[in-house]
Amino acid sequence: MLGPGVPWYLAVAAILFATGALGVMLRRSPLIVLLSLELMLNGSNLALVGFSRLFGEADGQVFALAVMAVAAAEVCVGLGLIVAMARRRLPLDVDRFAELRG
Amino acid sequence: MTAGAWACLLSPLVGAGAITAAGTRITRRQAGWIATLSVFVAFAGALVTLITLLGKEAEDRQHLSVAYTWLEAGGFRADASILVDPLSVVMMLVVSGVGGLIVWYSMGYMAGADEERRYFAYMALFVFSMLLLVEAGNLLLLLVGWGLVGLASYLLIGFDHHRPAAIAAAKKAFIVNAFGDAVMALGFFLLISRLGTLDFAPVFEAAGNGALSDTVVTLAALGLLGGAAAKSAQIPLHTWLPDAMEGPTPVSALIHAATMVTAGVYLICRTHPVFEAAPEVQHLAAILGAATLLVAGLVALVQQDIKRVIAYSTMSQIGYMFLGAGVGAYGFAIFHLVTHAFFKALLFLAAGIVIHHLAGEQDIRRMGGLRRFLPRTHLAFGVGTLALIGIPPLAGFWSKDAIVASALATGGTLGILLYVAGIAGAVLTGAYALRLYWIVFQGEPSPLVLEHAAGHGDGHAHGAEDAAGHEAHAHAEGPTSMLLPVGALTVLAAVGGLILIPGLWKPLETWLETAVHPLVEASVAEEWVTSGGAVLAGAVGIWVAWRAVSAGRELVPWPHLRTVLEHKLYFDELYDRLLSRPAQLLAARLRDDVEQPLVQGSLDEIGRGALEAGGGVARAQSGLLRSYAFVVTASVIVLAVVFLVVR
Amino acid sequence: MLTTLLIVLPLASALVVWLAPLSKESTAGLALLAALAEVGLWAGGVINFDFEGGVQYGWTRSWFEDLGISYDVGFYGFSLWLAGLAIVVGAVAIGYGVWVERERARAYYGLMLFLIGSVVGVFASQDLLLFYVFFEAMLIPLYVLVGVWGGPRRVRATLTFVLYTMAGSLLMLASVVAFGIGQGTFSLLDAGQSTNDWVFLGFVVAFAVKSPLLPFHGWLREAYTQAPPEVAAVLSGVVSKTAVFGLIWVVLPHFPEPVDDLRTLLLVLAAATLVYGSLLAFRQPDVRGIVAYSSMGQMGLIMLGVFAVTDVGLDGAVLQSVNHGLVSAAMFLLAGMVERRCGTGDCSALGGMAKGRPILATVVMATGLIVLAVPGSATFAGEFAILSGVFDRGWGYAAVGAGAIVLAAMYGLRLISAILHDARGAAVSGDEPDLRAGELALVLPLLAVLLVLSFWPAAVSGTSFSSGDTATTITGSPG
Repeated sequence: MLGPGVPWYLAVAAILFATGALGVMLRRSPLIVLLSLELMLNGSNLALVGFSRLFGEADGQVFALAVMAVAAAEVCVGLGLIVAMARRRLPLDVDRFAELRG
Repeated sequence: MTAGAWACLLSPLVGAGAITAAGTRITRRQAGWIATLSVFVAFAGALVTLITLLGKEAEDRQHLSVAYTWLEAGGFRADASILVDPLSVVMMLVVSGVGGLIVWYSMGYMAGADEERRYFAYMALFVFSMLLLVEAGNLLLLLVGWGLVGLASYLLIGFDHHRPAAIAAAKKAFIVNAFGDAVMALGFFLLISRLGTLDFAPVFEAAGNGALSDTVVTLAALGLLGGAAAKSAQIPLHTWLPDAMEGPTPVSALIHAATMVTAGVYLICRTHPVFEAAPEVQHLAAILGAATLLVAGLVALVQQDIKRVIAYSTMSQIGYMFLGAGVGAYGFAIFHLVTHAFFKALLFLAAGIVIHHLAGEQDIRRMGGLRRFLPRTHLAFGVGTLALIGIPPLAGFWSKDAIVASALATGGTLGILLYVAGIAGAVLTGAYALRLYWIVFQGEPSPLVLEHAAGHGDGHAHGAEDAAGHEAHAHAEGPTSMLLPVGALTVLAAVGGLILIPGLWKPLETWLETAVHPLVEASVAEEWVTSGGAVLAGAVGIWVAWRAVSAGRELVPWPHLRTVLEHKLYFDELYDRLLSRPAQLLAARLRDDVEQPLVQGSLDEIGRGALEAGGGVARAQSGLLRSYAFVVTASVIVLAVVFLVVR
Repeated sequence: MLTTLLIVLPLASALVVWLAPLSKESTAGLALLAALAEVGLWAGGVINFDFEGGVQYGWTRSWFEDLGISYDVGFYGFSLWLAGLAIVVGAVAIGYGVWVERERARAYYGLMLFLIGSVVGVFASQDLLLFYVFFEAMLIPLYVLVGVWGGPRRVRATLTFVLYTMAGSLLMLASVVAFGIGQGTFSLLDAGQSTNDWVFLGFVVAFAVKSPLLPFHGWLREAYTQAPPEVAAVLSGVVSKTAVFGLIWVVLPHFPEPVDDLRTLLLVLAAATLVYGSLLAFRQPDVRGIVAYSSMGQMGLIMLGVFAVTDVGLDGAVLQSVNHGLVSAAMFLLAGMVERRCGTGDCSALGGMAKGRPILATVVMATGLIVLAVPGSATFAGEFAILSGVFDRGWGYAAVGAGAIVLAAMYGLRLISAILHDARGAAVSGDEPDLRAGELALVLPLLAVLLVLSFWPAAVSGTSFSSGDTATTITGSPG
C-alpha cells in the first residue's frame, strides 16, 4: 500500500472541514456560504473514505457516495434559491435575512 | 323499654321534616298543627317513659339505648344512643310539655305572619334538638344537641330576616354559643386523648376514682363550664340573651326562658362527677351564678322593654340555678329549673298577649292600666310575678328558697357570701318584678292602651300582625289557642312547686337522687331561716318598687348608676373593643397588607419576571444564520474538548 | 377490572362526545348519561366492596418493565370514597353545564368527562408514575375550561393557575423519578421507605400547591372566582382532594421519617392555613370569594388531620374531604345560581333573597350551615375527629382549630345573611325566580348525601381504613 498513512487523510479532511466551517460562519454571500458548505461535506467525505480504508470495510465509501448525492441535491436547491433571489433583486447578503429574530 | 323515649326524641324531628318537605302544599294552619301535635306526641312519649321508670326499682332506673355507631374514627367511637334516667325524664317532660304549650300558643300568636310554616318547622326542630340534648347517651351527642339548640335559636331569633336588628342579634347569639361549643369541645378533646371515649360511665368513673390527674379534670370541668355559661347566658358570656329578645315572643318563652338557656344547669347536673372532682371549678360555677343573679337583677331594674326586663330576670334566675348546682344541690337546681320554666314561660306568654294586643309595642313607658282591658292576662301575669318573687305557696317560693338554704348549709365564707347574694337577689327580684307588673297593668291607662282598646272594640283593623283577621282576633286577649296554654301555665306556676317541699314532702328529690346525689342537705332550721329571710327580702323589694313606681319615680334614683345599668355595665362595648374589632381589623389587615400585595401581587411579579426572562432569551435569537452556525460549532468543539479531557 | 372501567368510561365518552357530530342537546344528553352511568357503576362497586379487604378491584399490566413501571389500579377504602366524591360531583357539574346550556358543547362536555376520568385515575393509581400521569392529565381540561368558559379575568386566572401548578408538578416529577429509580420500582404497594427530605419536600410542595396551603395559594382566588361555577365546584371540591390522596397514599407510607422530622412545620403550616383562610373569608367582598377562602381554610383543617398521622385524625381527614367536597361544590353551584339571577356576586349588592323564595332560602341556609360545621352535621363530625386526632400532637393545634370554629361561624353566617337576609340589595330587583326544579335537582343530591352523612358519619370514617390497618401500620410511621 502506497502513499501517506490514513492520519494524513484525516488531517486534510479536518482542514477542509474547518475551512468550510469558517467560510459558513464568516462570509455573508449566500453563494460562498453554499460553497463552504460543500467544502465541509467533502471534508467529511474524505474522512469517511479514509476510515473505510483504515478498517478495510466498504461502508464508509458507500456513505460517502450517499453524501455526494445529498450534496448534489442540496446544491440544486441552494443555487435555485440564490438564482431566485438574484432575479428578484434581493440583496445577496445572509445577514439581511433575519426575520427569525426573536 | 326505651321506645317511649325514642318516640319522644324523633317525633318533633319527623314533624319538622314533614313541614319542610311539604312546603306550600299544606296550609299555615296545618303546619302549626303538625308542629304542635308532634311535640305533644313527644310529651306522651316522655309520660310513657316516666310511667315505665316508676314501675322499676330505684336502682334499675337507668337505661342506655344504643341505636348505631354515629361516629367512628380510629379507636374512638361515639354511638347514637339515648340515656333514660330520672334526670333526663324530668327534662324530657319539661321540654316537651312546656314546649307543646308554647308551640300551641304560637298558632294564635303567629297567625298571619309571613312564612309561618318556616316558623313551625324551626320550632319543631328546636324541640328535637333540646330533647337530643337532654336524652343524649354520651358527651358527643350532648354536644350535638347543644349545638343544634344554638342553631334553632339562631334561626328563630332571626326569623324576621328582613330586619337587620334581628339578624344581628341572631348572629351574635350563634357566635357566642359557638365560642361556648368550642371551649366545650376542647375539654372533650382532652378527655378523648386521656380516656379514648366520651361515654358517660367511663368518664365519670375516671373522674371519680382519680384515674385522671387533677389538672386534666379541672381543665375538662372548665371546658364544660365554659359551654354551660355561654348557653345559659352567665357572666361573662351573657351579652347575647337580651339581644335575643328580637325573636318572636313565643320563641323567647320557649328557648330563652324555659328550656335552652337552662341547659347549662342540666349539663352541670348531668356531669356532676366531673365537677365534684374539680371542686374549684364547681365553686366557680356557683360564684358566676351569684354574680349573674345580682348583676342581671340590677340591670333589670332600669330596662324599659317588657321583654328585656323578663330576659334579665331569666339570667338572674338561672344564676340561682347555677348557684344551686355549684354548691351541689342538684335536685333543687333542677327543681328551680322546672318551676322557672313554668312561671317564666307564663310571664313571656302573658307579655306576648300584651304585645299582641298593642300591635307590637314593647316599651313599658307607653303601657299602663291594662288590667281593665286584659283581665285574664292580668291574672296570669300577676300569678307569674308572685311566683317569680317567691311568695308562698307559689312555685318560685319552694325552689328558690331551697337553693339559698343549700348555700347556707354549705357553710364557710363562700356559703355565707352565696347566701347573702341569694337574699339580696330576692330583694332585686321583688323590686324589678313588681315594677314591671305595676307599670304595665296598674295605674291609669296610657293613650296607646286606650287607642288599642277602642280599636279592638270596633272589631280591630291595625298592624301587620293582625292582617289575617280570622277568628284569632275574636277576643282582645287572643284566640283560644293562646289563652288555653297560658291558663295551663298559670295553674302550673301556682301549684307546680308542690312537687317538692323541702324537708317535708320530696318526691322530686328522691326521684332525682338515684341519678344525681346532692352534696349538701339543708337542715329544717336552715330552711326556715332562709324562707323567712327570702320572703321578707321579696316583700322589701315589692315595697320599695311599689313606693317608687306608684309615685312615678325611677327605681334607681341616681342618674350615674342608672346610665351604667342602662348600658348593661358596658359588657357589649368592652367585647366590641376587645374582640370583635381587633378580629375584623386583623382580617382586613391580612387582606390588604398581606394577601393583596404579597400573594396576589406576587402573581404580577411572577408574570413580569417570566416576561423579562423571555425577553433575554429572545435577544439571543438574532436571526443571523452565521451566528447560529457559530454557536453550533463552538458548542461541538467545547463538547469534544470536554469528552477528550474528561474521558 | 371495575376500576379500569371507571377510568375508561368517562375518557372514552369524552372522545365520543368530542368527535361525534351531534347537536348541542344530544351532546349534553350523552355526556350526562355517561356521567350517570359512571355514578351507577361506582355505586355497584361500593356495594360489592369489602372494606376490610385492602386494595380491591385491582388490575395490573406491565408498562416499562425495566423501570418497574406498570399500569396498576385498584381501590382502597378511602380512595373509593374519594373517587365516589369525584364521580358524584362531576355528574352534578355536568348537570349544571346542561342546565345553563354551555356553548361549544362538544368541547365542553368532552373536557368535563376527561376531567372526571383523570381524577378517578388519580384516586385509583397504585403506581407512582401512573399517578403522576393522571395528576397532570387532570390539569389539561382545567386550563381550557377556566380559560375558555370563565369570567372576565379568566386569562389571568388560567395563567396563574398554570404557573403555580406547573411549578409544583415539576418538583413532583423530579421527586417521582428520584424516588422510583431509588426504589427500583414505581409501584406504590411494593416500594419501600425513603428518608430523603428533599424528595419528600418535592411531593409536599406539589400537594401544598394543589390543596392549597398557605404560601402556595396565590392561584386560589382568581381561579375559584373566574372559573365557571361548576368548574370551580369540581376544582375546589374534587381536584383539591387529589392532594389529600397523594399525601395519605404516597407521602405518609413512604416517607415516615421526614414526616416525623418536619411534623411541627407541616402542622403549623396547616393551622396557619386554617386561620388565614377563615379570616380572609370573613373579609371577602363577594360570595364566591368567601367560599374560596373558606375552602382554603377547610383544606388547612384536613391537612391538620393528615399531618397529625393519628388514626382518629386520618379517619377525620377522609370524612372531612368527602364532606367538604360535597358542600363546597354545592355552595359554588348555589353561588352560580345566585349570580345568574342577580348578575353579580357582590355581597353589598345582594341580600333579602329569602323573602318569597322559600326553596332557595332553605337550600342556601342548609348548605351554609353545613359549611360552618354546625354540630350534628357531617362537617362537624369530621372537624371533631380531626381536632381530637391532632390534640395528641399538641393541644395548641386543637385550640387553634377550635378558634377556627368560631371564625367559621362568623364567615358562614355572613355568607348566609349576605344572600338571604336584611333588606333587598341593589342588584336584587325582587322578581328573580325561586330555585327551579332543574336547579334543585342538581343541589339536592349533594345535600341529601350530606344529610345522610350527618346522620351516619361513621359510614365513611369507619370504613376508610381496614380495621387491621391503623395509621401506624399503613404509614409505618414511628409513633
